[in-house]
Amino acid sequence: MNSEHRRIVLVLIALCIVFTGLIGYMSYFQAFKAEAIKMNSYNKRLWINEENILRGSILDRNGKILVYSEKHDETMRRYYKYGSLYSHIIGYSYREYGKAGLELSFNNYLLNINDNSALDELINIVAPRTIGNNLELTIDHGTQERARNLLKGRKGSVVAMNPKTGEVYAMVSLPDFDVSTLRDDWGIISEDPNSPLLNRATQGLYTPGSVFKVITTAAILNTPGINQEYLCKGTTTIDGYPFKDYQNKAHGELNLKNALAYSCNTYFTEKALAVGENKLRETAEGFMFNNNIPFDLPVKSSSYPKGNIGDTDLAASGIGQGKVLTTPLNMAMVASAIANNGEVVKPILVNQVVSSTGKLVKSFNTETLSQGIDSMKAAEIKEMMIEVVKKGTGKNSSIKNVQVAGKTGTAENPSGKSHAWFIGFAPAEDPKIAIAVVLEEDGSTGGSSAAPIARDLIIYGLNNIKF
Amino acid sequence: MLKNDISNRSPRNLLFLFEILSLSLVFLYDWGSVDRATYITAIGLVIIIYLSNFILNKISKGDSYIFLIVTMLVSIGVIMVYRIDSQLGMKQLLWLSLGILIFYLTYFVLKFIRGWKNWIPLYLGLSYLLFFLTFLLGKRKYGAINWITIGGHSFQPAEITKILLIFIIAAYYSNPEKFSKYKYAPYYIMGIVYSFIALLFLQRDLGTALIFYAIFLAIQFIYEDRRILILYNIILFAAGGILGYVVFDHVKIRVLTWIDPWSYIDNKGYQITQSLFAIASGGFFGTGLGLGHPEFIPLSYTDFIFSAICEEMGLFTGIGVIMLFMILVYRGFKIALNQTHKFYRILALGVSILFGIQSIIILGGVLKVLPLTGITLPFVSYGGTSILSSFIALGILQVASEDIDTREEAE
Repeated sequence: MNSEHRRIVLVLIALCIVFTGLIGYMSYFQAFKAEAIKMNSYNKRLWINEENILRGSILDRNGKILVYSEKHDETMRRYYKYGSLYSHIIGYSYREYGKAGLELSFNNYLLNINDNSALDELINIVAPRTIGNNLELTIDHGTQERARNLLKGRKGSVVAMNPKTGEVYAMVSLPDFDVSTLRDDWGIISEDPNSPLLNRATQGLYTPGSVFKVITTAAILNTPGINQEYLCKGTTTIDGYPFKDYQNKAHGELNLKNALAYSCNTYFTEKALAVGENKLRETAEGFMFNNNIPFDLPVKSSSYPKGNIGDTDLAASGIGQGKVLTTPLNMAMVASAIANNGEVVKPILVNQVVSSTGKLVKSFNTETLSQGIDSMKAAEIKEMMIEVVKKGTGKNSSIKNVQVAGKTGTAENPSGKSHAWFIGFAPAEDPKIAIAVVLEEDGSTGGSSAAPIARDLIIYGLNNIKF
Repeated sequence: MLKNDISNRSPRNLLFLFEILSLSLVFLYDWGSVDRATYITAIGLVIIIYLSNFILNKISKGDSYIFLIVTMLVSIGVIMVYRIDSQLGMKQLLWLSLGILIFYLTYFVLKFIRGWKNWIPLYLGLSYLLFFLTFLLGKRKYGAINWITIGGHSFQPAEITKILLIFIIAAYYSNPEKFSKYKYAPYYIMGIVYSFIALLFLQRDLGTALIFYAIFLAIQFIYEDRRILILYNIILFAAGGILGYVVFDHVKIRVLTWIDPWSYIDNKGYQITQSLFAIASGGFFGTGLGLGHPEFIPLSYTDFIFSAICEEMGLFTGIGVIMLFMILVYRGFKIALNQTHKFYRILALGVSILFGIQSIIILGGVLKVLPLTGITLPFVSYGGTSILSSFIALGILQVASEDIDTREEAE
């Protein structure tokens, strides 16, 4: 081969390399980048449906309309009737700012489109759809409103749900934002240091503090042969690190029931060591820690430390401190599980999807996610939680004529003031409502500030929700 | 001849099948507005392509694949253009028929007239005349002054100058004994090419300027004995590019929207981002013909035809189109390697590089691999001049694939 031929072949090879490179890049683009690019709100394909389809309404469990759309001379307008009340549940749908909440996760139902398949497009050409489906929520509008009023002025979250079916009656996260004026306030909202866009109920990770003792209690009951008695001196030292009771108060001779009622820290740190790292972690995981909770909105997983943790960390975990983190939704599910014979049910926010003509499109049924603890032991824990309300730290949640079972928590927070917690359910003999309240960096004790909120909401809920 | 015919028959039939199927899809999509003209268009397309493939095999002893590859590309193009705009689709079919006629015309003219390598002054004169006409009568279209309108038909002179450039370069490098007596001959040829590039630059036709440069550089790389000139050429072009970037705003904008189109999404980066949306929306198998939204891409029927193809026919068809170009270029180089006549060998190289580079520049552009320059995808994009000049180039390649009698024009 002479030099001319050699050079010709070189040029050919160069061109072929470039062609192959283009093919390679295209495949890479399609496999890894296309999905994100497709979802850019400037992609008109995403909105072509929205402009022609009347987006469905969203109703509460009693058929009260919360959000609806209307058509005004060829343009669709969406009306958020309750401003900020549903900012974290329903979310928003704006062309400029995208979608959030149920507006995002149920977008295809609201527009009555199925995943944009080619077949779907074909059907759309033959018989274009113009009206979307409506969502019927499990939310009780009155309870939601009351929950927000009770929490008003503070940071934190309230979740109220049915412990047996998983229906969420109220889910509030403060601070929130007004969805109806989002267009004007976007700059302020998105840069607010208090992050009003964050749904604290599902995505706020908090140190649980003493409400976690419910899980430690379950772990103790799950450990055969453990000594449930303990002499509390108000303080104990583990691996050189001191654990103290609230105001260094010594509780004296304690059994498990009293230890939970008085929320004795030294008891639960010592017993966490006796239970051992694996047992406590497995029990926590049974209550969905380190697990994804399937829900209609995005949920952050609660975390319980994995791997070889030292005695100090294990003891801290036993009282819900240290590296243990959880969401209000998850803690409401823990309370629900105790109320529901140990079964952890999947929380649901959307009861059913109904077409504009009233036909049922899809309904969502109760699902069991896990057996947190067996039903006998769940009943034992329930008795203890009743004791918490009767004579322990949870007295402020007690209601005349209705027996409440609960647990308070005051979680030390390394980055600020302590979080006040309450989890519980009522009526204890036939639980209808389970609740979790967290007041973020409130500085008060759970018993003094969170328990009364739970009490008021339970009273309202039992009197007004159509179960 | 017989062997040729057999090996060609099965791909010809496959092409026939492809056309029937995709045309049925177009009809299905456009059911309401299918009229007689549409049927005639469709039947016209199938017959023209089938027949011309058939006839070519009887006439030419040369390569029987390049025309087949091109008709496949043309079919995809016509179907896509028709789907985007049925009026344009029908016009494109007319251009295609004319293109095939021009192909045969080029073939016979080039084959039976001799002495092509001696007419450099003619090519030069014609080239400058075309540039002169463009400046005199040119209309600014999409930011570039590269169109002139004659009797209601717009016409892009640079498409013809491309072919003339290949003739000039081929004539120069195939006559070493004639030019070697001039010491500065290689500089003259470089000067001529750069004068073309500068004129194109002034017309803001950057894509075509890039094609001219690439063709010249590649052939210079193969044939230039004074290797240092290649280095000069590269340095000169790089310096020119940087100067262009600094001096001309429209060059700067192209580079900026290439690096980050998302920041300019509603103005300068609009085209390229719409192209990426289309390709991304198509996925691996496409939305299906008629089911996507290529109408959202500006110029989806010309410069961005590839994005439209990717959206509706999917990544795999896109890859198919790129591979067709790759095979076309490969066949072109193979023709060059087998051609004993140097002038025709360089012609074949020039045309193959033209097809290769032009498709790479626009494919890279719509994929955001290269800065976007408005040129057509040969044989696929809508556009009369583009189709005609591409078929002229193909005609040249067809002639070059045959044995040329070298007795009277010994090297």
